Amino acid sequence: MVRTTEPYDIEAVRREWIGRQTDVVPGRYPVEYDSIRRHCHMVEDTNPLFLDPEYGRSSEHGAVIAPPVMTRYFAGAGVWPPSSDNQVSLLLSVPTRGERNINLNTEWEYLLPAKVGDHLASQTEVTDIYEKSIKLDPRSVWIVTETRITNQDGELVAVGTNTLCTHRTPEQVEAEEGERPL
Amino acid sequence: MTTRTSPNSIATDQTFWDDVREGDLIEGYDLTLDWTKMVEQVSGSQDFYPVHHDPDFAAEAGHPAIFYNTGWTQAALCRVVTDWAGPAGWMSRFRFEMRRMNIPDDEVHARGKVLGKSDLDDAHGLVELEVWLENDRLGVTTPGWATVRLPRRT
Repeated sequence: MVRTTEPYDIEAVRREWIGRQTDVVPGRYPVEYDSIRRHCHMVEDTNPLFLDPEYGRSSEHGAVIAPPVMTRYFAGAGVWPPSSDNQVSLLLSVPTRGERNINLNTEWEYLLPAKVGDHLASQTEVTDIYEKSIKLDPRSVWIVTETRITNQDGELVAVGTNTLCTHRTPEQVEAEEGERPL
Repeated sequence: MTTRTSPNSIATDQTFWDDVREGDLIEGYDLTLDWTKMVEQVSGSQDFYPVHHDPDFAAEAGHPAIFYNTGWTQAALCRVVTDWAGPAGWMSRFRFEMRRMNIPDDEVHARGKVLGKSDLDDAHGLVELEVWLENDRLGVTTPGWATVRLPRRT
């Protein structure tokens, strides 16, 4: 998001940004064991479908698969080394009132499993931008995006919709609205 | 029928569509959000936005504490589904809402419930689940919903 201190015109932002989409961007690395292991570790998941190569080979998938919610992760570039992951770049470019953000609603349709060794790619489109009053900011800006993820064979693996709330700090709200939130 | 899943389930028991009943509860599992778990959420999600690990940054943004991120939250909810569904189950749809926050020292309970079921084909059926995270301070923080494809017994 790009915080603008000039008068904010939500209708102009909507006209300019809704419908913009990234190129189809390949993930930096293929689906891999160790990232899945770290993901499972954070919620103490011991599911052998995600962790045990031998079990995975004998399963209907024929390989270890990623938990479905990791699909987006493997279609991205990750945070290091720095790169121009186009989904992040697209979101970072939408003008907003504040530069703080909270991820809110997420919805996915999972069509195919992502197996270790698959190479995923993503394409993201801004589908909606609107204002909404929240406790932290009476004029927060919400950004909705749709992401389509494909594999190395061009098959559609997943489609997701995400809603991101961007807001100002209490100090910024007080300076710009004349009243401190909360 | 009530389906129970122990905290360390290896999720190898298969749930069959025929055996599922509307109203079945999924006991799920519990997590204690100590500081080690906070580090694990950053490691596992690779989400380094400071509001999820830096108390001063979170306070400056107006939050009472750091709060657990989207990657951790969806992983916790997904595990409820995949533990329960078993190796031949497939979560085909999933959505959730980050309504309230899970913060350090919370005891989080991951749970689920069967909302309904429907036919798909000769070999599979669909089950609609409600899943959620709740903590002892706020109750339900993160409701979610999933559609799961399960094998039939016959």
